[in-house]
Amino acid sequence: MSASGKRPTTVTRTRRVVSLVVAGAAVLSACSSSSGSSGSGSSTALVIARGMDINSLDPSRAYCDTCQIYLTAVYETLVGLGDDNHTLVPRLATKWDGNADQTEFTFTLDPKAKFADGTQVTSADVKFSWERLAGLQGAASYLAGTIDSIDATDPGTVKVKLKQSNSAFLAMANASYMGIVNSKVASAQGATADPKTDKAEPWFLANSAGSGPFTLEKYASGSELRLKRNDTYWGTKAAFPEVIMKETPKAVTQRQQLEQGAVDIAMQLSSDVAKGLSNADVTVKEVPSFNYVYLALSPGAKGGEKLTPKAREAIRLALDYKGLIDVTVGGAGKSQPSPIPNGFLGTEGLAAPAQDVAKAKQLLSDEGVSDLSLDATYPSLNVYGVDFTTAMTKVQTDLKAVGINLQLNPVEISVWADKIGKDGIPVTALYFAPDHTDSSQYVQYFGLLKDSQWQTWTKADPVPAEADLLSKAFAAKDDAARADLYKQLATAMMNDQIIIPLVNPNLFLASRTNIKGVTYSACCNLDLGKLSRA
Amino acid sequence: MTAAVASPSLVKRHRPAWRRGLSLVGLGIVALWVLVAITLPWWSPHTPLEVVGDRLAGPSGAHLMGTDALGRDVFIRTLWGARTSLPISAVVIVFSVVLGSLVGAVAGFFGGWVDAVLMRFVDLTMAFPPVLLAMAITASLGPGIRNALIAMVLVWWPIYARLLRAQVIAVRQRDFVESATAIGVPRWLILRRYILPMSYTPVLVNATMDLGQVVLLTASLSFIGLGARPPSPEWGAMITEGATNFYQWWIAAAPGIAIVTVVVACNFVGDALRDSLDVKDSAR
Amino acid sequence: MPLLLAGIATLVFIVSRLTPADPLVSIVGERNLTNPEVVAAAKARWGLDKSVVSQYFTYMKNLLHGDMGTSFSTRRPVLSDLWDRLPATLELTFAAMAIGLVFGVGLGVLAARHRNGWIDHIARFFALLGSSLPAFWAGLLALYVFYAQLGILPGPGRLDPRASEPGKITGFFTIDSLLHGDMSTFWSALKHLILPACVLGWGVVGIVSRLVRASLLDEFSMEYVRVGRAMGLRERTVVNTHALRNALLPTITIVAFAFAFLITGAVLTEIVFSWPGVGSYAVDASRKLDFPAVIGVTILGGVAFLITNLITDILYASADPRIRLA
Repeated sequence: MSASGKRPTTVTRTRRVVSLVVAGAAVLSACSSSSGSSGSGSSTALVIARGMDINSLDPSRAYCDTCQIYLTAVYETLVGLGDDNHTLVPRLATKWDGNADQTEFTFTLDPKAKFADGTQVTSADVKFSWERLAGLQGAASYLAGTIDSIDATDPGTVKVKLKQSNSAFLAMANASYMGIVNSKVASAQGATADPKTDKAEPWFLANSAGSGPFTLEKYASGSELRLKRNDTYWGTKAAFPEVIMKETPKAVTQRQQLEQGAVDIAMQLSSDVAKGLSNADVTVKEVPSFNYVYLALSPGAKGGEKLTPKAREAIRLALDYKGLIDVTVGGAGKSQPSPIPNGFLGTEGLAAPAQDVAKAKQLLSDEGVSDLSLDATYPSLNVYGVDFTTAMTKVQTDLKAVGINLQLNPVEISVWADKIGKDGIPVTALYFAPDHTDSSQYVQYFGLLKDSQWQTWTKADPVPAEADLLSKAFAAKDDAARADLYKQLATAMMNDQIIIPLVNPNLFLASRTNIKGVTYSACCNLDLGKLSRA
Repeated sequence: MTAAVASPSLVKRHRPAWRRGLSLVGLGIVALWVLVAITLPWWSPHTPLEVVGDRLAGPSGAHLMGTDALGRDVFIRTLWGARTSLPISAVVIVFSVVLGSLVGAVAGFFGGWVDAVLMRFVDLTMAFPPVLLAMAITASLGPGIRNALIAMVLVWWPIYARLLRAQVIAVRQRDFVESATAIGVPRWLILRRYILPMSYTPVLVNATMDLGQVVLLTASLSFIGLGARPPSPEWGAMITEGATNFYQWWIAAAPGIAIVTVVVACNFVGDALRDSLDVKDSAR
Repeated sequence: MPLLLAGIATLVFIVSRLTPADPLVSIVGERNLTNPEVVAAAKARWGLDKSVVSQYFTYMKNLLHGDMGTSFSTRRPVLSDLWDRLPATLELTFAAMAIGLVFGVGLGVLAARHRNGWIDHIARFFALLGSSLPAFWAGLLALYVFYAQLGILPGPGRLDPRASEPGKITGFFTIDSLLHGDMSTFWSALKHLILPACVLGWGVVGIVSRLVRASLLDEFSMEYVRVGRAMGLRERTVVNTHALRNALLPTITIVAFAFAFLITGAVLTEIVFSWPGVGSYAVDASRKLDFPAVIGVTILGGVAFLITNLITDILYASADPRIRLA
């Protein structure tokens, strides 16, 4: 019954299919070796793999880790930070001076300083930028909120009068959020200091008006951030004609791309991923950082009524800190006693957090608390190599052992922000990186001062003593006095039992070996202007 | 798509031995999973939340599929995952079948404008890609397993509505039904006593195969983050963890294999049912 | 058909009102609730201070003007977002469909000709796996094997990190780079397309091969095949030229079903491969509770289904002469 040509047909057909596949594979592999990872015409660009957390590119509204990198590269501050992460160096200002009780500061602007469009940087621009930062009330507005008035009569000099003594003002002036915007250009785009009349935010998503070594070329949310070299930069020109930050949320993908040379710097490798890297063309440096992930308890939140001070102390004692460091960063980190990070003024001699399960149980039974169930909505993030779900699962296990049940609920950060702003969340987690080098920022953010960020979020009662101590610290003249005051503040915040740092992870700086200048900056994350390729 | 009425064959259809073998394999796998899911608390060496060893350790004698980022045994967690995924799947199917059959039977039996209205609604719901609709509903209701369940029922019931309707229409035209109507048997009694019993076989076949598909959909929703909350050992959520710890392939492999075995087994059982009940066609 | 479109929009409206929260929140976002200007503008545009029925009509009217609201996360009109991201998904879906059809038909033919042989069994198992594997898991597996371990295919994303997008003509990176004559970008785009398209197309291969096999087997039992074989025609001619053509007719109907499968699978595949299409937009929107975006994507999904069904009907009518004459 079968036709004569049946058997050879099968073989021929199979042969044809196989040869097609082989030919296709050959073509592909040929192309992979030729095209490699070089793109068209941008082979000298610097490519950075990073999971970007950008909330805005408007300098008066931006507040995020990636924003620090962007703002430092595009807008300049009056003072810069030296490589030791401690000394202030000139940037837009050549000289600065404070009066005896730290209420008035005078900055002398560098006459060479020019914006990217060629116009001079004047005191009017400083006044405009800082007033807008304070007025728009974004998350970074606290930095300019201490300013009472700015005298810009002399275009080359800025005279700032503060509402009260503030010894940290110079450090604050170094924060990337205090960068200077070209006031003429911005005003022309509708930028004002009043949130009801300001219209410039959309313009800032596609343009920049700064004096830094880079300008904004293009921003595609969720995809990439492209910076172009400012060729008329008044200082030392940047080495790279272009810097591209590619949205790469997964540490694993960052590592792969780094190994293959598709990117030059991978910014967020976790310790698990970094430790497996062994490639001659890649350098990985592990350095201590000031970043940390913390647990926050809100007694004033909906559902948090049972979080009395003793209950909160019990929670603090129930946590297995060593286990947390192990589980989240594989041991590449440290524990941290207070919301002020290790290495900042005021943290010398603070007792490291210790686990005491027996005492925790005791405290809870004293309070008559048993089988407490708490909502733990937290942002589903992975920052500094710490996976929040992993950390919270460990916390959940630790607390279960003392009779507290956490209902874990990971949500997107925007959803989290809405929830905590409205009803509050009894138990949650977040991260923090320093805005500048002074310890005061931690008190202003985490302390129970009236209207501080966490006082608002936890809805706990403000502690007047902390506000007093902060004023004294601002007025203090020398480092020793300040250190003592900040230590008291740190202790006070620990006694608040609101913020419990979980882990202070080390930072893994991973880059191709031929990239120079990759260091960790305490104010700005990564200074793009200092990078070059050997 | 037409659906033939189930009718017992006078001549047993000859099924090759290997197909019978496959259906036995399928049945065996499903039975094994159900058994594991029910009896696990009695013999499991660990609970799914227990930290038992070094983190991110590879498969070994002590831990068959290694450990995850928290040091939990991946193999045991996968087994525990059955206690989440299988019941959810069953509940979704039961509710979908009940709701869908109700709507479909009513539409098919009463015809006319009732039929038209109900079927428009069915067409509408089926006009959306299931995952998208499930995502939209879950986002509206809020994440969590319970809302994911509701969303899945809402997405799945139209299939059974269509199926039942076709069955009911076919049976309705049979002689004995017309006779019953002629002698005055009340309509709902006809529906219950005669039509429904003859319509259930395609439903059974579909339901069995859909069991696996719902497990897939549950895992997909959890993977996106709209289903199970941590630290529940749901298979989709475990695969998400595996994506983060990419180089530790065992973390994603175990739950994935679990899902595949369940879906494939359900397919085999459904095929076997279809053959033995001699249903020539069905909704798939 | 327009009734169905209206029905889709209505159903989505109902779904959007399922949320226990105030619909105002779902339109402007929690953060803007304190901004009276934004709230007033939203109320005016969507009629939120009126009854639900009135809101519904406003919603439909806005839709007809192409106004789907503004996304919370991108701050742009949802329609623009969708328009930007659609080409990426279409490129992926078409590629997957092409792979699925080519390999599906081929496999189906092989399976039918060697019925119950080992090729048949392998083909059926392959097809079964295609519809049983979670798409995202298969994607992860494929990445692990071909990217992480073997290194022969590139990783997630549409292009290498260093490459820049070709100027937009169609939005398909492969086509656009060819049109610009930019070969290196073309190869980069093509290589990045292979893995996700194959993973996505696997399911289609399953569906298509099963159907082709069944249809071919039906055709084989028909007279003209026996006549052809008796006449001494080569088996290949009988199958490919005659039987296949008839067998392919029902395959056209499966195209719509396959598209449904592809759109679903695309959502999951796009996340795994960081493909910036409509699917990953939908997932991001669901996670962020960005309701305007979720609603926009759902409507788009429904409309896409409708269109593919329509095209299938047209194709079927033009391909089957029996229907045309009827």
